[in-house]
Amino acid sequence: MSATGPYREIVLDHHRAPRRRGRLAPPVQAAEGVNALCGDQLRIEVRVEQGRVVAYAFEGACCAIATATASLLGDRAIGCDADDLAALEHRFAALVAGEIAEDAELGALNALSELARYPARRKCALLPFATLAAALRGESHATTEVSV
Amino acid sequence: MNVPLHDASPAFDPLRTRADFPLLTRTVHGKPLVYFDSANTSQKPAAVIEAVDRFYRQHNANVARAVHALSEEATTAYEGARAALARFIGAASPDELVLTSGTTMAINLVAYSDLLPRLQPGDTVLVTQMEHHANIVPWQLVCARSGAMLKVAPISERGELIVERFVELLTPEVKLAGVTHVSNVLGTVNPVRELARECRRRGIPLLVDGSQAVPHMPVDVQAIGCDFYAFTGHKMCGPTGTGGLWARRERLAAMPPFFGGGEMIREVRFSGTTFADPPHRFEAGTPNIAGFVGLGAAVQYLERLGMANVFARERKLLVYASDALCSVPGLRIIGEAPDKAAVISFLVAGAHAHDLATLLDLEGIAVRSGHHCAHPLMQFYGVPATCRASFAFYNTTDEIDRFVTALDKVRRLLV
Repeated sequence: MSATGPYREIVLDHHRAPRRRGRLAPPVQAAEGVNALCGDQLRIEVRVEQGRVVAYAFEGACCAIATATASLLGDRAIGCDADDLAALEHRFAALVAGEIAEDAELGALNALSELARYPARRKCALLPFATLAAALRGESHATTEVSV
Repeated sequence: MNVPLHDASPAFDPLRTRADFPLLTRTVHGKPLVYFDSANTSQKPAAVIEAVDRFYRQHNANVARAVHALSEEATTAYEGARAALARFIGAASPDELVLTSGTTMAINLVAYSDLLPRLQPGDTVLVTQMEHHANIVPWQLVCARSGAMLKVAPISERGELIVERFVELLTPEVKLAGVTHVSNVLGTVNPVRELARECRRRGIPLLVDGSQAVPHMPVDVQAIGCDFYAFTGHKMCGPTGTGGLWARRERLAAMPPFFGGGEMIREVRFSGTTFADPPHRFEAGTPNIAGFVGLGAAVQYLERLGMANVFARERKLLVYASDALCSVPGLRIIGEAPDKAAVISFLVAGAHAHDLATLLDLEGIAVRSGHHCAHPLMQFYGVPATCRASFAFYNTTDEIDRFVTALDKVRRLLV
């Protein structure tokens, strides 16, 4: 196991210096992702043209895992349509659940594979995916917390 | 950094005491375990583990049902644990102690058996801003059934109950007050004797949640003068699924049963049932016999250490850790009451509590992060979560040094 667990250097880098942080000029599709138990809260905005994401921005107060995932996801989401992103989310969920090994499709998002050993923190990494999916479906809110 | 600790009693040897806890020798992620989550659940000494093992190997049977030898032994062991616990918390008699699965069940028992039948629309239940959900939600549930309301006594920024405000809120509509003895987040030790006196003057029953007090300091329920005292076994070196509710005999005798079933009856007819006297009236079904045998052993263990020694030892650890944490840049301690148990909740600027806790875990250090089952308290401080290091007498200053060094290291990674 890595000495830093899920906090590989690329994850820490995207946490300390998130890419595409901020907001977009309208028109945008947006959703809020909230994990109330953790206290994670983020907003993802996308501009969609001809079914594809052409711009992405996020902001919020989250843990390093959620922030880094939101940042890495932005890199990956540009140019994708809703089906591409649903497939990506499915693959990423399998990665952090330990069901698949690192996967070329996931690119830099593979850095979060150690979450397979940290089940309590998976929801943090899944929150940006769920929020982006909600924004694309025209829903306003998302969470990856089940009630406890 | 290594200041020698002068313990209250020469009989109390921290390192020998630590050796009583088999789990503390293990490693986590290849590093020696530092267990700073005793406010969540304590570790168990070998004496407790062996008592449970011995019960199942040699004495296992149901209690109070059969006449054979094993059943007699099991009953004697179970009732012996009740007697030991009752003595430990200063009850006048074992009959004043209902054995429950823990504090949560004890509080629910009071909510449904004592309080709900008395509640009318317009009545209120008074709690404080620093309560655990277990001392909030049961009252909310019975309030919702009866049209009563919950009132909240405020705390100061330092995390102390504002006693004058609490007393002002003790109006005639208050049908019960619930206060924690020691806050699981802030460590604040509340002046429960004073609060009990004020409640008694007004004829308002007071329930004290002793979950975080009984494991860490001498407790005498009669000296406190409250009406109900609830506590849990698993935080005081005992097995999970054990705990108790103390109340005076006449108060318990006035309460109707909450759960129905075996053990709690005198005679059952389809035309009607008569119930056993307290405390058995409130103990329907087969209890956690082996668990209470283990808790009885935990009480013996703690009595041998001496709760005054435990308190003094943990106070030293608290002071040592509080001083040492000052060296971590950006660290803020939540809960600065002068009278405080060995619990330190903290925030580090720029670092989320869960990130700190996961990274500390990689260093072999177990702390809790999150809301600590105290959402309203987190809302008061305007934070979603804190990290919490909580100590027990089996911890050492060396562990605190490792913790502070590791915390500074992980902070640098995140900030």
